[in-house]
Amino acid sequence: MTPTLRLPYIRPTLSRLNQGPVNPFRLGTSPSCPDIDGISVPELTREHGSPLFVFSETALRDAYRAAHRAFSRRYPDVQFAWSYKTNYLNAICRVFHQEGAIAEVVSGFEYEKARHNGIEGHNIIFNGPHKEKADVERAIAEGAMLQVDNIDELLHLGEITKGRTEPLPIALRVHLSTGVQTVWSKFGFSGDDGELQQVVRRILAMPQLRLVGLHCHIGTFILEPEWYRIAAKKMVALALNAEAMGAGPIRYLNMGGGFASHARLHFQYLPPEQATPSMDRYAEAICDTITAEWPQGRTLPKLYLETGRALVDDAGYLISTVVAVKRRTLHDPVATALAAFGKNGPATVAGAPSQNALVLDAGINLMYTTTWYQPRILPVRPCLDAPTPTTVFGCLCMNIDVLREDAPLPGLTTGDQVVMHPVGAYNQTQSMQFITYRPAVVMTGPGGQVHLIRRRENLEYVQEMEVVPSHLQNPE
Amino acid sequence: MLNDRGFAFDPTSGETFQLSTTGLRIVRLLQQDTGHEKILEHVIEEFEVEPNTASRDLADFLLSVKQVGWISE
Repeated sequence: MTPTLRLPYIRPTLSRLNQGPVNPFRLGTSPSCPDIDGISVPELTREHGSPLFVFSETALRDAYRAAHRAFSRRYPDVQFAWSYKTNYLNAICRVFHQEGAIAEVVSGFEYEKARHNGIEGHNIIFNGPHKEKADVERAIAEGAMLQVDNIDELLHLGEITKGRTEPLPIALRVHLSTGVQTVWSKFGFSGDDGELQQVVRRILAMPQLRLVGLHCHIGTFILEPEWYRIAAKKMVALALNAEAMGAGPIRYLNMGGGFASHARLHFQYLPPEQATPSMDRYAEAICDTITAEWPQGRTLPKLYLETGRALVDDAGYLISTVVAVKRRTLHDPVATALAAFGKNGPATVAGAPSQNALVLDAGINLMYTTTWYQPRILPVRPCLDAPTPTTVFGCLCMNIDVLREDAPLPGLTTGDQVVMHPVGAYNQTQSMQFITYRPAVVMTGPGGQVHLIRRRENLEYVQEMEVVPSHLQNPE
Repeated sequence: MLNDRGFAFDPTSGETFQLSTTGLRIVRLLQQDTGHEKILEHVIEEFEVEPNTASRDLADFLLSVKQVGWISE
């Protein structure tokens, strides 16, 4: 008997069409992501399990080179410093170090990681609001670039370096009003109200310290490059002012990070392809401004950049598997509010509109960034089915575990796989172990290789730091 | 009214709907008065799907069809 050819299965769905979200005449084009860097997604999970983080080495290197090119073609002395907190998996850091980035760290732990990755002290920018004494002493001994965040740190540094014959070069962190709603005033000293000048005066009274640089970080995911133009103009003015006060030559300006990736913020109207500025626009705003504002005939200060998200986010993917499907009743917000006050009966009524919902084997403990961003979620299997708004739940036993409220997806079913993107920034460093083991992380190479760069966690790893007191050793 | 791409217009309510390909096949079978168990057999035979998954999805789908008033039970 000839076996019958069975068709690919799509979950049977019936969706009420409202004006706008679905065009019934353009069906059969649900986008999908069957492979990453040319390597089939099912092949990756067969080898390394699901969920699985995947980083494309080619994408990492391409992003770095594009950013470096955008700045170095406009400015003579540019140095990128890899922002460790954005993603400090050693393999990721080493890709950027191989490309020429030095390290930017914000804690003793990150400093140790950078040293472990072969970065010498003089190639480490030591940032952050809290630096332990022992870490500062090591950083000084190894010639790291210290960026002072607050007056306590400055006074502490003055104590540590008392009696030095050779002044210790330092930089000050500055926060500025540039147009970003809510100035990021946590970082450094105000450059707008004279606070910075007061601090410069203090440094002038400390012969063991010498101010050589200024740093600012105006915010994160900045979609308006013009704000960097304002920041750069103010930074040059502050540097020249400090020099005029007697601080000596300011040798570098550090414009921090904050360039946007192709992630999409919640409530962001335009898609990332339209909203995210090109690296050239950031470079133009910063480089052209410093060049124009710096006194003619003087050597331009070195320009440091601590770009993290824009270099790594787009290179990261999370593969996950559908473990359950549901219908989710949509609550009428007015009825819900009235029901909260005991009026008009229950908020959920029979026959209320509902939409598809999925439960994935990955939760928000792996996807911290879903608090602010909505990852694109694509089915692995091409589906000849129109996408409909679908709620994507994670696997945690918590009601807040929602990865996307309204992802446009075809009718997926149990066992189907999806790919979330971009997820390369902060999800590694800020994920937490909760209920399940955190998944493996692999990096795909340019020749189709797949390198394991972090093993899947296991019980031994999770319990490694625990100590059971002797009276509890015997469970009986 | 139902076209071969799963676009449906309900003249009684004036609403329009979109069926997935599998959903369209099931509605066509319903139009031919096929019983629910027979529909399940058709789905399992025609599509790459596990019986449990097909059974669960069919039950969900029939509930949706009932909610819009195309079937009574």
